Amino acid sequence: MSRRVVYLALVGMFAFLPACHNNQGAKKYFVAFSQCNNAEPYRAAQNQLMEKLFQQKGNVQLVIADAQQDNSKQIAQIETFIRQKPDLLIVAPNERAPLTEVMGRAMAAGIPVICLERDITQPNYTTFIGADNLAIGKMAGQFVVDSLNRKYGKPQGKVVEIRGLLGVEAEMERYNGAHDVLKGYSGIKIVHEAVADWLQSNARERMLEILRAQPEIDVLYGHNDPMAVGAYLAARDLGRDKQMIFIGVDGLGGPAGGIKKVEDGVLAATFYYPLCVDKAVEIGEQIVQDPNFHPDKQYILKPELITSENASQMYQKLTF
Amino acid sequence: MADTPPEALKATTIAKPTRYFALLHRPLKSHLKRFVGLPLILLVALAFSPHSPRGGLIFLEFGNITDILRQISEIGIISLGMTFVILTGGIDLSVGTVLALSSSIVASLLTRTQWGVPASIAISLSVGAAVLAGVMVGVTNGVVIARWRIQPFIVTLATMIGVRGLARGLTSNTNIDIGFGTDMPSVFAGALSGRAVVIGSYVVLSILLALLLSNTIFGRHIRAIGDNEKAAQYAGLPIAKTKILAYAMTGLLAGYSGVLHAAQNHQGNPNAGVAYELEAIAAVVIGGTSLMGGSGSILGTVVGTLIMGVITNILRLNNVDNNLEMIAKAAIIIAAVWLQQKGKESA
Repeated sequence: MSRRVVYLALVGMFAFLPACHNNQGAKKYFVAFSQCNNAEPYRAAQNQLMEKLFQQKGNVQLVIADAQQDNSKQIAQIETFIRQKPDLLIVAPNERAPLTEVMGRAMAAGIPVICLERDITQPNYTTFIGADNLAIGKMAGQFVVDSLNRKYGKPQGKVVEIRGLLGVEAEMERYNGAHDVLKGYSGIKIVHEAVADWLQSNARERMLEILRAQPEIDVLYGHNDPMAVGAYLAARDLGRDKQMIFIGVDGLGGPAGGIKKVEDGVLAATFYYPLCVDKAVEIGEQIVQDPNFHPDKQYILKPELITSENASQMYQKLTF
Repeated sequence: MADTPPEALKATTIAKPTRYFALLHRPLKSHLKRFVGLPLILLVALAFSPHSPRGGLIFLEFGNITDILRQISEIGIISLGMTFVILTGGIDLSVGTVLALSSSIVASLLTRTQWGVPASIAISLSVGAAVLAGVMVGVTNGVVIARWRIQPFIVTLATMIGVRGLARGLTSNTNIDIGFGTDMPSVFAGALSGRAVVIGSYVVLSILLALLLSNTIFGRHIRAIGDNEKAAQYAGLPIAKTKILAYAMTGLLAGYSGVLHAAQNHQGNPNAGVAYELEAIAAVVIGGTSLMGGSGSILGTVVGTLIMGVITNILRLNNVDNNLEMIAKAAIIIAAVWLQQKGKESA
């Protein structure tokens, strides 16, 4: 193979680029979405919903950049977006402090910025649309209390908690929220806490050890649905899955999501942590269409409890 | 290599020195041929750059060029050190975690310590401590590799793991945020995150290290060791000392990169720098440095880093899907290395 062939191949590879970059025809709005990490199921669901909603609008060209959980990468991607001057920039920041400055630069360049789900350290955005993990933790804590009340007639029992990646805000708030509620009941003991970094496989392994160590468990609280499912798998292996209930967080739709697990009877409950995307699309559309529209500085969306009672209805709503 | 009689080896080393200055004597045309990848990528970038609303090429905007340079600076600085290590026939996998360690150290010293001294001194000491930590990891690598004769891949793989644990332990698994106010950590972030400082650091360090490699005895020793370690040993070169220095320097540069990382991200992050070592190695190799050691240059590494930066930029400016971007980059890396090699052969 000669060098010329390689040159040609390289140039040919770039030749498809303009095809990806189509803005002819009627006025199309260019919306750029900087997503912190496509690899998380919650983020993937956000992307899917956003693509679906903007596609329905018809006049929007949406581009999603994946920062692969890397602050520097996300900053670089936003810098590129600033050069492209989108009509709207939506950012789901990987972390607070690192993204604050570059989002300020986008604002300074006159681009409306929606900050999605995670707040930043200075209000460098047009509007912030988020949800409340502390509230989810509290709802989970209350659900534990209620189920133990039903089981024993009083708030007592043994709880195992499987935690997400330590130091991550969602983990801390889901933990603290639940503990705020549970510490009011002296009969409820958290007999074991394990860290499984949000992963189903890790949770399954940790739970196998926990089951060996704890002869009695009433409730398993996982900081996300996959970890609760992983713990369930371990308990089922040892034939103990009927002795306890499993609760998770996130409540994503689709066949792999937590709602399906509630429908299947694997999880007793999950808590829908809002994707925030529907609100972002609604507000975003108003921002690009109407220059006089001034959104609120922030919109905080409420989590929802999903049990077997409302699971099929929520599944319909949250499956795209 | 080990079977060759020592006398013959000695003869080749002695014959070598003329080659060290080849960079200066070689005609310009062969230089161009060696680094053909960069002009090619630039042409492609120009051809496929989207247009800004005012009609110019976005790729050529001053802001975009400085974006690219700023974005490649951290990996760029690391890859300068990596060049020296690879030239000795070694490798350093620990640089990504050294960056994380140093960013964590500088951020925690600035935010968690009561300094009773003026801000400028406190900042200098914190930065110094972070860089020193990088040097210490490098010295550890170098000493174990050179004195205990364990393969560099294994040693630096071990330090990569250990240093990550150290960084996470020091910070109790949390990120240490630096504010945006007027307090000392904010002053630090403001001072060291400017484009001029970041890009300037990269440029100055590149020039210094290029001179170090081509115009000093240390540079010659580096090449000689990578070219033929046995021969260098018989020729009486200070192999252990040279290797330890190379790893220490790589640690220093990774540490400094970590300081810039903390300032730019307003955060010390024990989980930062994942796979940075691989990006740095890719830049060095694209720049024509052989993984077997002995041949290569700082100029090549800078070109390699630029190629990676320009590719990333032009793919993103065109909104190429992320997964496609990774696949395209893989193809381009292989093609670039192959073209560099061809260029070298025909030069």
